[in-house]
Amino acid sequence: MTTLFINEEEVTVSSGTSILEACRKQGVDVPYFCYHPELSVAANCRMCLVEVEGWGKPAASCCTPVGEGMRVTTQSKSLSKDREMIMEYLLIHHPLDCPVCDQGGACKLQDYTEEHGAEHGRYKEVKRAVVDHNLGPFVSTCMTRCIHCTRCVRFADEIAGTGDMGVLNRSDHMRIEGVVEDALASELSGNLADICPVGALLDKPSLDVSRPWEVKRHRSICTQCPQGCDIVIESRGDEVIRIKPDYAANEPWICDRGRYVHDAFRAKERILTPFIRDASGVQAVNWDMAVEKIVRLLKGKRVGIVFSPDWSIEGLTAIRLLHDCVFDDAKVAFDLHRRDMRPFAFEEGFGMTSKQIVDANEVVILGSDLRQRLPILMQGLRQRSLAGKPVIRIGAMNYRTNSELSADALIRPREWAAVIARAMQQLKDLGKSAAGMDAWLSSVSERHEAGKLLADALLSDSCALLVGEEIRSHVDAAALIHGLDLIARASGHGEEGRDARNLIPEGMNASLLSAVFGDVRTSVGDLFDAAHDGELDALLLIGSDPLGDGLFSMQAKRAMGKVPLVQIGAVSGQVSEYADVMLPASAYSEVEGTFINMSGEIHLADEPLSTVGDARPLWKVMMRLIQGFGMDIPAVDMNEIRASVQSYLPSLREVWGQGVDHNTWRMPVARQRDANVLPVGVNPAMPLDVISRYSMYREGAWVRASASLVEAGNIRALDDVLVHPNTLKEAGLTVGECVIRTASGNYTFDVGVRDDVVEGVLFISKRGVAGDLSCEVMASLGGGQ
Amino acid sequence: MQLIKRAFKTWMLWELVKGLALTMRYLFKPKITVEYPEERTPLSPRFRGLHALRRYDSGEERCIACKLCEVVCPALAIVIESEEREDGSRRTTRYDIDMTKCIYCGLCQEACPVDAIVETQHFEYASETREALYYTKEMLLDVGDRYESQIAANIAADAKYH
Repeated sequence: MTTLFINEEEVTVSSGTSILEACRKQGVDVPYFCYHPELSVAANCRMCLVEVEGWGKPAASCCTPVGEGMRVTTQSKSLSKDREMIMEYLLIHHPLDCPVCDQGGACKLQDYTEEHGAEHGRYKEVKRAVVDHNLGPFVSTCMTRCIHCTRCVRFADEIAGTGDMGVLNRSDHMRIEGVVEDALASELSGNLADICPVGALLDKPSLDVSRPWEVKRHRSICTQCPQGCDIVIESRGDEVIRIKPDYAANEPWICDRGRYVHDAFRAKERILTPFIRDASGVQAVNWDMAVEKIVRLLKGKRVGIVFSPDWSIEGLTAIRLLHDCVFDDAKVAFDLHRRDMRPFAFEEGFGMTSKQIVDANEVVILGSDLRQRLPILMQGLRQRSLAGKPVIRIGAMNYRTNSELSADALIRPREWAAVIARAMQQLKDLGKSAAGMDAWLSSVSERHEAGKLLADALLSDSCALLVGEEIRSHVDAAALIHGLDLIARASGHGEEGRDARNLIPEGMNASLLSAVFGDVRTSVGDLFDAAHDGELDALLLIGSDPLGDGLFSMQAKRAMGKVPLVQIGAVSGQVSEYADVMLPASAYSEVEGTFINMSGEIHLADEPLSTVGDARPLWKVMMRLIQGFGMDIPAVDMNEIRASVQSYLPSLREVWGQGVDHNTWRMPVARQRDANVLPVGVNPAMPLDVISRYSMYREGAWVRASASLVEAGNIRALDDVLVHPNTLKEAGLTVGECVIRTASGNYTFDVGVRDDVVEGVLFISKRGVAGDLSCEVMASLGGGQ
Repeated sequence: MQLIKRAFKTWMLWELVKGLALTMRYLFKPKITVEYPEERTPLSPRFRGLHALRRYDSGEERCIACKLCEVVCPALAIVIESEEREDGSRRTTRYDIDMTKCIYCGLCQEACPVDAIVETQHFEYASETREALYYTKEMLLDVGDRYESQIAANIAADAKYH
């Protein structure tokens, strides 16, 4: 620790802190442009000058470390003069276009000019103009306004990892240049507009729409991925202008998916009023008529309920109440990506917090495109690999990452059991074992060398296994996860505190779902098959869009064409073409509620946006339905519905009580200690394994309703279906339209080639187009081009 | 003596005579009545009447949707919505002034960086309905087009005092 004096006040900070950081900590205002707490120090704006007693000249506080007994002055006559001169210098080429600049009103240059600048400019010569760049659909540029703080360059370099911006030339000719134009291929590009201290980089979708002083800010939770970032939604009246990260929370960045989904909140796809379909078509009706029709359709029938995990936990519990009160024998399903319904040894959700994962000695990503799936966690892993710590990946596709991988093993999905067996064998040979390991090991005959990476990582003191969608949606998933549990336990990573087991869930609230729906859940595929086979009379879809997401679009389509469908949700999507009744429910941004993220962290949303149309929070819709069926309503207000949640998860009582620190409170992930599932093996009936891509610009009903994300998805689109060049060569085919033979039939798609795909794997990159293929596990390429 | 003087004035109706004398005097003086609407008093170039949105000589509207008038308006009479026009310039899609709320303080024209919103000397726009006092962008631009020469003259007359 170092003690120094800032404006005669004694301050103690840790050694190595810069003077600027010490001032910020102390609440002393020092102006700066180029400094950013999350980026490296560039010290090129010279705005943060302070005086240190005994030093001959002012020091740039952002790059000067504190010293013992240092006496720092942040305000003096000569500093004012210095700052005035620096402002004059920065404003020489800055255009006087504040009235048309979106940054106006929230601009550091504007504020500091007011505070430190001279009264009049003396520069009368010609001002320069700089050519703008096209930085993709999310960031608009006006480079003439740039003051060359290089925050964006450092962001692209250090955070986004794309490195596609740089500084060219010097002095008057200095400019920030997108090295690869039109390709800011980062999932975090929206943050550029936030970090630019002037109006050079602005938010494109909300360009020229609003002013900072006219927006209202709502703290909320993003449910676009299981990470559950804290966000601030900016709205004006009924309009949603933009989403920003909540700077009061821990995470300084949010991804483009969570940021630009906001246009979907007011998109035409929103269900605004109840609708019913009758002989004359779809028509808007009032709640009473819609509920009456639902009662007619569903009363006394065998019903299948499919819902989305992204509702608030109050809403999800209300679904369970509806199930218990009205349809107590109904089938319930929500895992659109889970084929194997045998109990998982460790339930979905993380045993570790994001910070623990980033700090662990070893991290192994197992079959996941983590950059698309959990961009913010991947960002943490990138920082980790920049610090020289290893990140290992095993999977079926060489997904593009923005981070160095210390080892990358490409395997086919059918080889997972062999990989885990190899790791298990190694642990066994070292004398580490867990109950049930021998039986598991003897049931797998092959060994795959990639397992060595897994075993070596597990032998370390702290290790994080990030189990991704390739394993979760594997036909033998329960056995693979049991195998991973065995090796984690054998190597001492099974217990609280050293837990390595992190199963990336499909959506939010994973720990709640296993507690509330554990006893009634079934497979989505089975549910739709049952509806198709006449074992169910009607389907109730609550926020879920099985036609656009997940592995069961074909079964869903078949089932929905056959039985009546009731859709409850916020966005209509493709499903509404089949729906007989639609009820509007409020979006996640429009409800008061509680959300649990993948690490079991609790987020309370209590500043909701105004909802649109006749939409109501999901729990109220559920209660209205229960009432419609003539039952007693189990909960009439938020407190009562929360009491019902507590009957499933008693530990939540603390969360809604007083004095709980939501930053440290965690809900543990459920463990299935007695699960003992052996691999049944995959029958290699066809030569190709099918893997489908999770694209952050396509997955999710909200995303498909958002015009800007759909546009971004089109820019980043790949061919419909990808295979390795050798695979295509072996089949004697060339790039272009090919017939894909599967168990359910033959399809014709554009097949492209890419070296990133493992040989023997059929990679479905465009789920929207090649959707129905996703439900297949295996396929073969046929001729007939 | 005082008593006699007062009695004389009382009995001779002296105050009445004095008053009528004043009346007679004004009866033959030139009249100052302004016969509105045929006659009008002169108005200051700074007179704050009906608002107008101005254009440049090229016909391009001046307003750039900076919203400073909206935020400075103490009566919250102005509502602006904006977006990027096809040519990339920032323009309003909506510019409404509620003349029933407006208090004609002139802060909007002071805030305007491009002299787009101004208050003209036109004040005869009373109407029989409230709706007629809700001015839209088109109406305001129209007022500007009609009074542009007058507005320009007033701004020029006032320019030396800025």
